[in-house]
Amino acid sequence: MVTATLDNVFVRYDLKKEAAEKKVAAGRDDLLQKVLTAVVDGEEENIAAVVNEALTVHDPLTVIREGLVKGMAEVSRLWDEGVYFLPQTIISSDTMLAGVDICEKKMGRPMDKKGTVVTHTAEGDIHDLGQKIVNALLRANGYEVIDLGKDVPVDDVVNAVKQYKPALVTGTALMTTTMTAFRKIANRLVHDGFEIPFIGGGGAVSLEYVTSFDLGIWGKDASQAPDMASDAVSGANWQKLREKYNG
Amino acid sequence: MPKYTTMAYNSAEEMIFGSAKYPVKYGRDFEVGGGFVYPELVPHPRPGSEETKKSLMREYERMVNDSLERAVTLGFPGIQIELEHVWQMTKNPDWGGDIAAQTRRQQEDYYRKYGLKSAIRATIADNRKPDQENIRDCKSLELALKTFETSAAGGADNLSMESVGGKEISDYCIVRQDIRGVLFGIGVLGSRDMEFMWKKIVEIANKYGVTPGGDTNCAQANVAMFMAGGMLDKSVPHTFAAVTRAIGAARTLTAYEMGAKGPTKDCAYEDPIIKAITGIPIATEGKTCACAHADLQGNLIAAVCDLWSNEAVEYHDMFGGTTPAVFTEILGYDVALMNTAIAMGKAHDLKAMLVNSDKYRDPHSFVVAPENAYLVGQALAANNTSYYNRAKAAAIKAGELILGDKKMLLSNFEREVLQKTLRDLQSFPDREQDFIDQCTALYRKAIPGFNPANYGL
Repeated sequence: MVTATLDNVFVRYDLKKEAAEKKVAAGRDDLLQKVLTAVVDGEEENIAAVVNEALTVHDPLTVIREGLVKGMAEVSRLWDEGVYFLPQTIISSDTMLAGVDICEKKMGRPMDKKGTVVTHTAEGDIHDLGQKIVNALLRANGYEVIDLGKDVPVDDVVNAVKQYKPALVTGTALMTTTMTAFRKIANRLVHDGFEIPFIGGGGAVSLEYVTSFDLGIWGKDASQAPDMASDAVSGANWQKLREKYNG
Repeated sequence: MPKYTTMAYNSAEEMIFGSAKYPVKYGRDFEVGGGFVYPELVPHPRPGSEETKKSLMREYERMVNDSLERAVTLGFPGIQIELEHVWQMTKNPDWGGDIAAQTRRQQEDYYRKYGLKSAIRATIADNRKPDQENIRDCKSLELALKTFETSAAGGADNLSMESVGGKEISDYCIVRQDIRGVLFGIGVLGSRDMEFMWKKIVEIANKYGVTPGGDTNCAQANVAMFMAGGMLDKSVPHTFAAVTRAIGAARTLTAYEMGAKGPTKDCAYEDPIIKAITGIPIATEGKTCACAHADLQGNLIAAVCDLWSNEAVEYHDMFGGTTPAVFTEILGYDVALMNTAIAMGKAHDLKAMLVNSDKYRDPHSFVVAPENAYLVGQALAANNTSYYNRAKAAAIKAGELILGDKKMLLSNFEREVLQKTLRDLQSFPDREQDFIDQCTALYRKAIPGFNPANYGL
């Protein structure tokens, strides 16, 4: 028999699930390890120094792949395992991208991107924080992001898709009365022959609504964006993405 | 400009639901904070109904009628309806005005037929984009001000807003756990924008003889709170969000310093702090807003409310009727219990139950528990020499309270985050101008589009 006391009115499940200790993968050598660790620890103020040091020995692509990208992969793992919160991930992403900038300057060209994604926040909606998180996570995972910003008219999204031919387009909305732009965008894209996956998410946006029109895939959480982009770049069409993420 | 330097109450024990130091009367025989708690129902139109003015007005007509009808059916003495504008209602000022007028006609009809007391809050949408335009001179501002006028002329009794000044900084910083930027974006820039906006809103309210209600830090502190989420979420640390709430209180206070009279906005979870300082009646939402979002202070946040709300419920059918009817019923019975407790001399017992249900559930509920809200408010009022000083003092007090109560259990991670946040806060400059200079340089570089001139800087 359980008798109510002030100590059992609720259960602090968060304390029962205290995160495991952080263990970081090893880099190929000390210099790359420093780069990797700077990304994992989100040392934005220190990244230039360690990247430049690594560049005295390694070519820029090696620093990107073996230091910066590997570090970000560690960050993704730590987030997946519940060790990191979103802020640590975003700061690490900023750090990684600052390092990539340095390497790209040294190469004289941008690093090869995995693919292009167009992102926007719906017309009439100024709540674009979810979109910004999506942008950061996609960039940190090697995608070119065409950021259309917030309160974006339907025409602008359609035109951007035609211009950049992305693997994926995303839309964020807080309000149910602004997410209705998603259907208009999807219909226009279908009409014009651009059958690409269109991820809709944020606030009150529901699976039921986004999957009620062609192209629509509901994004439950910003953290899904890199996996969805990876699937789209690998050739999965909107039906396959919908089946995988909304099935 | 800041002027609240003392507390409206001598202690947190004095604060109780249903009574405020400065009750507000408006609408149809409707008094808030005068010894009685009323429900505030917030209906939200279905997607698609906003396509035309005609379809949106019809949607509101149905929603409001369903709510008023249920209130009479179940014998509730009164109700406030909030018209929380969807974008289209503010973008088209005549839509907002005509819906307010229609709602007033409906309420008058129920008052005439049944004596149902009632009032209307119109919450105008703030569609300004601080990182993309001059928010002190832009089309969105012009439309918002025009819609305040049409709403007041149409029949709104209470004009409110969820303003967004400083959001370009706070959004960037909340997801980076950067308390400096949160303090700057909310405590300094947010307050400066509130000063700008609320001067205009109060002028409009006075022009039409209606009540300037209040504002909320929904665009900032609620972002932190919602991202912190539930016990298993890993987006924003809960201790960081709780400190952000205290900063949000410093910013929300500005509306009342500029002449807003309350009742405050329901989604301002900082409102217990506001009530402690100002004595103005407050609207809050808790378990009854589960239709809109989850909540870790579902009972506690009712402890000192004067209006009890549901945040926003989209119009749909349920077994028990439509959602506005069902939520009117839920809210109505909740306040009936509170009013019964008042009548039986048991209000403080019920208040204690509400508080103890949730106080240690989460750092956020802990900070807005009346006794802690009062202490945060005291720190804020005692340091009310500048927007920066008072926000910083409130934040430090909130952090110290969380760390200082052994019953407020924290994971190691949450504790470390809070300790670092406090160290950061204590390392910031003493003078507001020094802090502004530091932040302006820093965030101009980090955030494209940040324009200090938007805040008179």
